[in-house]
Amino acid sequence: MLRTKITNRLLIVILLIIVPPTTINCQLATDGNILSFQNRLRFGNYLYYEKDYLRAADEFKEYLRSESNDTIVFRLANSYFQIGRYTEAANNFKGLFFGSQLSEEARLMFYESVFFQNDYKLFRVLAEEQNFGSSIYSKDIERLKYISYFLDNSRLPEENLVLKSFPDSVQSRLLNFYQQKKFPKYKSITTSVILSTLIPGAGKIYTGEVGDGITSLIATALTTYLAITNFKADHQFRGWMFSGLAAFFYAGNIYGSAASAQIYNARIQFNFDNEVRLFFEHRNYFLPKIDY
Amino acid sequence: MKIRLKVIFFLFAFVFAVKAQDRLSIQLDFANNLFNNKQFYDAITEYKRFQFFDSTKTFNYEINYKIGECYKAGAKYDDAVKFFSLAELNARTDDELFDSKTQIIRTNILRRTSDRALQLCNELEKDQRFSGKRDQINYWRGWAYIFADKWDEAAKSFTRINSNHELKKLAEQTEKAKVSVTFAKVISYILPGAGAIYTGKFLSGLMSLGWNLLSGYWTINSFVENRVFDGVVIAELVWLRFYRGAIQNAEEFAQEKNLEVSNKSLRYLQNEYKGIRP
Repeated sequence: MLRTKITNRLLIVILLIIVPPTTINCQLATDGNILSFQNRLRFGNYLYYEKDYLRAADEFKEYLRSESNDTIVFRLANSYFQIGRYTEAANNFKGLFFGSQLSEEARLMFYESVFFQNDYKLFRVLAEEQNFGSSIYSKDIERLKYISYFLDNSRLPEENLVLKSFPDSVQSRLLNFYQQKKFPKYKSITTSVILSTLIPGAGKIYTGEVGDGITSLIATALTTYLAITNFKADHQFRGWMFSGLAAFFYAGNIYGSAASAQIYNARIQFNFDNEVRLFFEHRNYFLPKIDY
Repeated sequence: MKIRLKVIFFLFAFVFAVKAQDRLSIQLDFANNLFNNKQFYDAITEYKRFQFFDSTKTFNYEINYKIGECYKAGAKYDDAVKFFSLAELNARTDDELFDSKTQIIRTNILRRTSDRALQLCNELEKDQRFSGKRDQINYWRGWAYIFADKWDEAAKSFTRINSNHELKKLAEQTEKAKVSVTFAKVISYILPGAGAIYTGKFLSGLMSLGWNLLSGYWTINSFVENRVFDGVVIAELVWLRFYRGAIQNAEEFAQEKNLEVSNKSLRYLQNEYKGIRP
């Protein structure tokens, strides 16, 4: 009797040791099928937290074929957002606008998705849309709308309207951007061309290319001088050659001045765009961080 | 009776475990199949899925290694290095450790971080565990030098494996076919255009020589005719421009020629070389 008891207990102990292998694969959900919808969801979530958004999106899409889940739709949309597929992100966020607990966040993220498509005109049209508006994040969306004015060629709204949406700490910086955008310090192409026609190189000096301007002046003057002296010394070929060179330098100086003014203006625009973009990027466009 | 029940329970539990394990085996086979069919994106997904569900983590080395290979094949070198490093951490034997380390070196070679590849080769060489694998280390060191465009150093590395090594011969031939940039410049100082001719650009070299002779003649002629200022200006604006141009051209042509030679050898390695490549 005692022996049987000991044997039984021993068996139980052995079972307790051996049975855990059934739970070795505890990652598998109850049905044990790796590709079941629940397991796809778990795997998708794992990929999502690992920031492998492209694969996570595929898993979420598969899972959503089985059942509807707002959080997963949000994650699917956010996965697309993270990998820069903004159109798909916007479409998926739109699906959460009505009857979802994540409606407010989805609306904000929808606007972000449209904003990052770089179609700022469309963004502003949508920002005015009452049906899409968010009650919690309306200020963030409005701020994003004013930021969009700095990023394209549209006419800026009133200074006060723009500035009041931003925190005090950046007011002076934004005012500076506003002034630069409204009154860019461009150089006139016509003035540059006229100056170079009168004095070779003057147009370039006007656009800030002092070295190039002086070189232009010297090259034109010297080749003209050489042409004259060679004609005087009866070297016809050299005379004509240096005349041609002088004409070339003179014409080139006028064309170069126009180009220089254009380049100057493009540089001003490029630097401004870069500076503004960096400023907003550095502050995440003043957007709250949302993740589920 | 009780014992029978327990035995049945045990068998049930065992069968369940085996079944789950079977599913994982199928998953691994599926991932391997994708890998063998060069469907690397899908293979990564399935390897990751296997890794996620396999809580025994028995295959951690193999899976990370395979994922690394997939990323490498897809030219995602940073990700590849990350997974080969994970494989390295999970290596169970010296051979596995060596393989994962060499894969990191090979990926570094491909992403042109040759200095890092060479540094890793040196570290491997110093490690006593791999003293029997010197040839392999020298082989990859040679490749790192090739990608760093140091063919003479590459030849030295391959010589350490075998003095008749195919790649040693190729590296030597490549080095020999290259031209000296310094020499091209120096002879252009002495005779404008000579550097271009030396690099095989005959027409350009002769044109350069012609322009220099003409502008030199004009300069001297101006001085002869006592038009000193003309002479100085022509020398500065015309002659000096062509003289300096000839030297600069010689340098550029020599660099271009060397690049062509290197590229030809690299193309051979890419398309025709039968041995193991990074």
